Amino acid sequence: MDFIFFLQDLINGVLMGLIYGLVALGLTLIFGVLKVINFAHGSFIMVGMFVAYWAVSLTGLHPYLALALVVPTMFIFGYFTQDLLIKPVFRAERDVREPTTVIIVTTGMWYILDNLALLIFGPDYRALSPNPLKGQMIELGQLFISVPKLWGALASVATAVGLFLFLSKTRLGRAVRATSLDREAAGLMGINQWKIYNIAFGLGTAVAGIAGVALTPFNNVYPTVGIPFDVKSFVIVVLGGLGSIPGALIGGVIIGLIESLGPIFMTSTWTEAIVYGLFLLVLFVRPTGLFGQKFDW
Amino acid sequence: MKRFFLCFATVCLSLAFAMQATAAGTVKVGNILPLSGPSASVGLQGKNAREMAVEEINAAGGIKSLGGAKIELLYADSKSDPNVGVTEAERFINNDKVNVLTGAWNSGVTYPSTAVAERYGIPYIVPVSVRDTITERGFKNVFRIAAKDSWWTRDQFAFLKEMEKEFGEDLKTVAFVYENGDWGTGFAAQWEKLAKENGFEVVLNEPYPSTATDLTPVVNKIRRARPDVLLLTSNAADAILLTNTLADYKVRPKVILGSGGGHADPTFLSGAGNNARYVFDIVEWEADVNKPGAKETNAKYKERYGSNLTGEAVDAYVAMYVLADALERAGSLEPAKIREALASTDLKTGPGMIVTYDSVKFDESGQNENAALSVVQINDLGSGLERITVWPKSARRAGYTPVFPMPKN
Repeated sequence: MDFIFFLQDLINGVLMGLIYGLVALGLTLIFGVLKVINFAHGSFIMVGMFVAYWAVSLTGLHPYLALALVVPTMFIFGYFTQDLLIKPVFRAERDVREPTTVIIVTTGMWYILDNLALLIFGPDYRALSPNPLKGQMIELGQLFISVPKLWGALASVATAVGLFLFLSKTRLGRAVRATSLDREAAGLMGINQWKIYNIAFGLGTAVAGIAGVALTPFNNVYPTVGIPFDVKSFVIVVLGGLGSIPGALIGGVIIGLIESLGPIFMTSTWTEAIVYGLFLLVLFVRPTGLFGQKFDW
Repeated sequence: MKRFFLCFATVCLSLAFAMQATAAGTVKVGNILPLSGPSASVGLQGKNAREMAVEEINAAGGIKSLGGAKIELLYADSKSDPNVGVTEAERFINNDKVNVLTGAWNSGVTYPSTAVAERYGIPYIVPVSVRDTITERGFKNVFRIAAKDSWWTRDQFAFLKEMEKEFGEDLKTVAFVYENGDWGTGFAAQWEKLAKENGFEVVLNEPYPSTATDLTPVVNKIRRARPDVLLLTSNAADAILLTNTLADYKVRPKVILGSGGGHADPTFLSGAGNNARYVFDIVEWEADVNKPGAKETNAKYKERYGSNLTGEAVDAYVAMYVLADALERAGSLEPAKIREALASTDLKTGPGMIVTYDSVKFDESGQNENAALSVVQINDLGSGLERITVWPKSARRAGYTPVFPMPKN
């Protein structure tokens, strides 16, 4: 009997961990290419959740079909955020390899987006209903597996594989990688740096949208929902290595497992302390994270 | 010379205007509330209720003993952060020169910000913040409308005992699951004591962070512990998440009993949907309360703000009438006079008295000694999910029999 509960927590930890990985993926992608730490990432997740929420409740689509709407919307949102808000700062700090002013811009965006959402949607907690995934469980005797989380985990792996293929196999993907390695050299080779930045930012935002779609069927949507995910994303990305796609997934799973298996031995408040402890430890011992190679995928 | 006279005349005129403005007078009330951040939803309810009450008071001629002075509400957003609460209290007192403070919903913010008010001798009305110690520090300027948390937990166990007797059901084991803030841990400490006194076996004592993104591990622990009674202290987001996850994993104790807060938030019903059915919750007020004017006030609030009055909103609403009543008797804007008037409050009538009890009266410590609580059950009687008063038995909605224990599926 006890083994069943352990297995239950293990499965939940892996599924939730993969979803955390998906949540962190956009952050790591944007950092990998632009070397920008996007403090508004949690707000992007929040925007993604709201877009997913409205797409599903207005059209009645299956939550995962709403991706067809969410991904382009979020891509465009990210594309123009970079083009209109971040590019000018980059231009002003042309000679700086890792511009810090951008951090202030993204932090400002976090406040603006969260409060804009509060203004428009109010502080209500919204849950997707009707929602074909809500409360769906696979029951294997005593063992329960959450269907929306399973979908979320699958979406996470699919997105990571998709991104990996895009970056390694396509011409545009290679241009993105080239720009991330050395934007001046890439520029000399005829790559339009700003366009690549727009695309990378758009992609990162679109991935945040996918994370929003994955979360919405079993999580509440509200203006500050991004904050806990934001913090978690940073921990995951540092753990897995900034800019690393597999690192994000594995970092996510580690966090998921700590959160899920930890409470067997202690109260769940303590698992949070362990997560942050691990975060600090990694920063001290291996600042590049598990998979962090400085300028490579 | 002509110019000089013109100037002089202007100065005189503006002075006269200024004097008149102070003569008609306004009472400045500083409100510290969580208007953004995790508790923004309740903060907004408090703000709405205050505004509705003050509008009514001002429209009825303001404070007559002060020459028809109007009440003016100023707001500060605490973001649920104690530090912000303290700074805002200082700012209200020093810069805005407020006459009275109210707030701050989060006990953690109210506790330090009332200390600021006490230091400056500014009366501070606490509509809701349940932590006992807020009124147990010998302060002279703090007045609390709502019941304190030791009364909440006391009544939760009284309810359990009476339900056992009424339905002939034996409740043996109990699990505590609570957010790890001041509020939750305070409740848990008292539950621990009360469970022992009432002969319950505690099978789980589990705090969790209110910002948790996944509560499945907690639910799994509850599932393993198999309690008869599940006592919860949750904020809105986690109350919804917990209720849905409990339903997903088919965890069905005989009783699930919330502690107000998140379970009483209007978004709880929409967020948890049918999973919220049969959940019990302790509250200070419910829309089906049998008091004159309650129905009309609730209807007015619902029309303006789109949801029923909550306990939080009612306490904020009442607080404004308590304030108006005190100002009327004080006949002065001097903090010490207002404080004296508040201390001798015995409000029995008026639009504010839609509360479950008969009068607002503060004891030595500034606690409203009459504040009382009731227990509701969430159920669908054919017109959607609603909260139905079931305890105390004298207040139970006519014709309703609580569903107890919770059905197995």
